[in-house]
Amino acid sequence: MNIGVSSHFSLIDHHGQTVADTDYRGSFMLVYFGFTHCRVVCPRALSKLSTVLDQLGDRSRMLTPLYITVDPQRDTPEVMRTYLETNFPRFTGLSGTPQQVDGVKQSFRVFASRKADSNEPDGYTMPHTAIAYLIGPDGEYRAHFADNLEVETIVARLNVILEQGAER
Amino acid sequence: MVGQFDSNDLAWVEQLPKLDDLQAGSLNRIFDLAAQLPDDWSGMMGRSTLQEDFGSLRFQLAYMSYALALAHVHRLPAAPELFRKPFDQLIQKILSPDVWTYWHYVGTGNGPFNRALGELPATWDPVERDNIMYSAYVQSMALLYHYLFRDDKYAKDGALTFSVKPLFWGMGGRHFPYDERSLNEHIYWNMVQRGYLGIACEPNCVFQVCNQVPILGFRFHDLVYGGSLTEEVTDGYLKAWEEFGVLDDSGHYRMMVQEHERAAVSFPDQPWVDFWMASLMHAWNPDMVQRHYPDQLAHWAVEGPDGTLSIKPTIPPNGSDRYSARDFGWAAVCASEVGDDETLSRLLAYADRFLHPTRSDGAYFYRRHDQLLDADGNFAAMDPHTGNALLAYARLNVSGGLQKLFAGPLGDSHFAQPTLVDCTPGLDVRRAWFASDRNALVLTVAKATETGPVRLEVGNGVGRGDCRLLRDGRPFDDHVYLRGERLIIEFELQSETTLVLSWV
Repeated sequence: MNIGVSSHFSLIDHHGQTVADTDYRGSFMLVYFGFTHCRVVCPRALSKLSTVLDQLGDRSRMLTPLYITVDPQRDTPEVMRTYLETNFPRFTGLSGTPQQVDGVKQSFRVFASRKADSNEPDGYTMPHTAIAYLIGPDGEYRAHFADNLEVETIVARLNVILEQGAER
Repeated sequence: MVGQFDSNDLAWVEQLPKLDDLQAGSLNRIFDLAAQLPDDWSGMMGRSTLQEDFGSLRFQLAYMSYALALAHVHRLPAAPELFRKPFDQLIQKILSPDVWTYWHYVGTGNGPFNRALGELPATWDPVERDNIMYSAYVQSMALLYHYLFRDDKYAKDGALTFSVKPLFWGMGGRHFPYDERSLNEHIYWNMVQRGYLGIACEPNCVFQVCNQVPILGFRFHDLVYGGSLTEEVTDGYLKAWEEFGVLDDSGHYRMMVQEHERAAVSFPDQPWVDFWMASLMHAWNPDMVQRHYPDQLAHWAVEGPDGTLSIKPTIPPNGSDRYSARDFGWAAVCASEVGDDETLSRLLAYADRFLHPTRSDGAYFYRRHDQLLDADGNFAAMDPHTGNALLAYARLNVSGGLQKLFAGPLGDSHFAQPTLVDCTPGLDVRRAWFASDRNALVLTVAKATETGPVRLEVGNGVGRGDCRLLRDGRPFDDHVYLRGERLIIEFELQSETTLVLSWV
């Protein structure tokens, strides 16, 4: 079913390399959007997804976990690298220019909007879509996992999809 | 004896739901309108033009279908075939270009609430972007139909195709094929992309109430296909609306948010906003609704003569005389849903006295009336949406009816139970209930429009054991016989009759 989600992007990874979605062909991509100043949603989701990857065991090697920022103004590749290597080392961070990030948000149909908040660093926060996307080795959307799903549910669904993927 | 019960003691039957005359009349009105020929909108046209107001055809069709669902599930659950065809007819009608081609113009925007977007390109696909005030009704009706009748008719490719076939322009017309799943997915992703705040109706205008409808649709999707879209969306919805408040500081529901400006818009003295929101949101957020309903009702209610109750009507802006009864209608629906029986009774008493009640060939409705007040100063306006759909909905609903439907009451056992699958056309079915504890199907029927013996056909009745039939408490076994997989009951009907078909 064509739901209008495309995996197209051109961004910079947290090693400073320019990357595109096509560079990940042949592997499943597990993509999560967020920003490193996120207090609750991102840490919870990245922690949960890291547990999912642990529980997948060897099968997790079929996946490339990516964390794409919706806050490129603050989340430079260096900031992303420090944040992820310290907290969620399974993930590779992707950033870019505001235009590049807007493009990937549009591709994945992600919502993110800057919202003034005097209690937050720099006076703003970024409410954003809290969905993990699964993109197939062919670059096509396969599934998504909402924030309210438990680890066990995600693992079970991933196992089914990855098993099918391995048989192709 | 049937089991441990005395089979001739029918006191228990009187405890089962049975339609009264006005409920049956309200249902017949919906049946009549659903059965009108395609694009015959007789009795459904209001004052406004271009399908622009909250009483437009799409709303009438949708809330008539919801009323059918509630009446079926809560009052006549053993008569699905009484409801399936009219429900389907309403879905077919909402697909008519008469109902949705307004979008070609409305979608261009450039009005008071979306001028910031400028003039947008005219489009024909009525569900592609925005227009949740239409798309979600199609989505929810199709998925509700599937859920109620276990009929996947609208799951088939292209089963929900929006098609306009003009003769003199367009070279073949416009066709936009969807089905219940693709439409649901489309709406879901539009909702995701809006951060769950909601999808706009007119461009830039995210009405809270219109975004309750896709939530109903997501729930019916989850009931049919599994998954947890509903929980995901309602969680996200509440978080998104924290920015503006589901309610304003005075305890009334926010009407809408301008998407581009990220600004809440409210108008004073719009009772329909409170009552419509409460009626629908009660399905998934009943605690909030119940908490605020008493104050909202107290704010909007107007005492009527002789213990009746009315609602302060919205006065149209800019000197318009397009009055409607939708404040009143939604208050009645809301009272029915929150279980405020006294208020519902007082409102319906007012309607039955002042709001132009009409009986026609077994149907009961409230005919259109364009003046705001009668000679004595009583509120008197009536519009087709309220007169055909909303007051029927209120009368046929039960306390928490939508909430219970949302919970998903129909399991495999329901679909395996004996049911009325066919009957003499026009037969007035007042009761259809399978009492599983007594293994008995109870049917109460009144007059039929056709002369001669009446015929009732019961499905799922074969293989359950020996059956026996009582008519008004007396043995009536010689009037039931087997034909194929159906049990057929035939008899002369002079007056209201209760049949109990039981298995031992």
